[in-house]
Amino acid sequence: MKRILSIFLGVLTAIGGFVDIGDLVANALAGARFGLSLVWVTALGVVGICLFAEMSGRVAAVTRRGTFDLIRERLGPRAGLLNLAASVLVTVLTFTAEIGGVALALELATSVNYLLFVPVVGFAVWLVIWRLTFSLLEDVFGLLGLALIVFAVALWQLNPDWGGLLHAIVAPHKPASEDLSTYLYYGVALFGAAMTPYEVFFFSSGAVEERWTAKDIATSRVNVFIGFPLGGLLSVAIAGCAALVLMPQGIEVATLGQVGLPVAVAVGKLGLAVAILGFFAATFGAALETGLSTGYSIAQYFGWQWGKFVRPRRAARFHVVVLLALIAAIAGVLTTADPIKVTEYSIVFSAVALPLTYFPILVVANDPVYMGEHVNGRLANVLGTVFLGVIVVVALASIPLMLLTAAGQ
Amino acid sequence: MTDETFELKLRLLDRQVVDPDGAMICKVDDVELARADDGGFVVTALLAGPLALGPRLPGRLGRWTVALARRWSEDPEPQPRRIPFERVTELGSAVVLDRSRDELGIARLEDWMRTHVIERIPGSRHASE
Repeated sequence: MKRILSIFLGVLTAIGGFVDIGDLVANALAGARFGLSLVWVTALGVVGICLFAEMSGRVAAVTRRGTFDLIRERLGPRAGLLNLAASVLVTVLTFTAEIGGVALALELATSVNYLLFVPVVGFAVWLVIWRLTFSLLEDVFGLLGLALIVFAVALWQLNPDWGGLLHAIVAPHKPASEDLSTYLYYGVALFGAAMTPYEVFFFSSGAVEERWTAKDIATSRVNVFIGFPLGGLLSVAIAGCAALVLMPQGIEVATLGQVGLPVAVAVGKLGLAVAILGFFAATFGAALETGLSTGYSIAQYFGWQWGKFVRPRRAARFHVVVLLALIAAIAGVLTTADPIKVTEYSIVFSAVALPLTYFPILVVANDPVYMGEHVNGRLANVLGTVFLGVIVVVALASIPLMLLTAAGQ
Repeated sequence: MTDETFELKLRLLDRQVVDPDGAMICKVDDVELARADDGGFVVTALLAGPLALGPRLPGRLGRWTVALARRWSEDPEPQPRRIPFERVTELGSAVVLDRSRDELGIARLEDWMRTHVIERIPGSRHASE
């Protein structure tokens, strides 16, 4: 019974923890401009993140080594360092976007300018990382993140033509008013949002934090293969709400408030309050994840002690790195750069950095010396290789598309 | 442990080094080799720290790493941190030693960060709750 409960909790936190500021913004933006014609990209991204999160979780459970530990081992110190630099830049940029997102959620709730919340949010993030155990922080913010189910409720309340919606999803049709390059650019953004590399660092390091062994592989599979797709459905619900309410009015999403607007229209004030709680939980949880991920990657590359499973004084360099990343992220938000714009750039740069993370994971998951009987099967390999191809194409296309479309203008 | 033949690059270089309890110590940044009687090489020590990693990084970055590490060292003849190969008890997904990091006395940066930064923050000695 206890085991079933813990699996159930794992699935719930995987759903609630799936969405972050990138998913919120990308899905609302894409829904408002392209309707449901880009849902297939989100679906593709969810398949990809499931595939590679399962692999990295399995690798971590068997070897008890985090992703960057293995990246350096496989790519050597030079390519490994280049990879580290790119990954840390993208993760800190995402960290900045998440902190901005938390502050924007608080602004929505209080009408006090978001910049005033930034130092408080930064301190709260640090305090949680410093004091709370890993599993507690994951459970609390994962469960609170379930508040975003209000978007699914809103979609229901809007009483759409379900057959029409389904048709728009399975037979995607680019709106005639939009260029193909803009359409593809938003596709890249959605893909980057669904597959953000930090999720893999966090997932595999989390497996080490929670002392998984080969016995936990089955539980991890349940979390990934049930939790992530359901989390992906929340993303689709956000896009669906935007497509039904914002698109007909010609509203383009530029603020977090506009992401929540359809909920206010469909469910009313109380629904909006729940949505704001969901925004807060999703971004705060992701801020913790990106902050920790920065520490994990750097410490794992250099072989330093890392993790929350030891007292902070036993992992001094790790905690200093997390603190420095937090300071950088806070400074980033305080430049008054629009957090929504920062988010857009962070997900596109995530798409660029994707192959750097996913290639080494595929290589290690295939290595029988490390993995023994838990090495990749044929299905995981075929799918993994096909996906790596997709990821490389997306990564190569992302920067040219960004320049061509002036970042989707 | 000392007699086994293995592929250096695949099984030793850039691996995580841990103590008997699994606490992380460093990476195998480089190794020290000696000629064996049969003409092959034997690993005599694991090398760690910026003075070992620096020379393996490309160009200017590598030179700067070494130069900075030398400048900050209090030693007049700075050397990479050296762990004799006799300390190694297991070569698996990590390299396991028979001593802890404190007993080996390596990683000065960790000690410095601990005394000057982390231990000054309340709660650094407590486990998370």
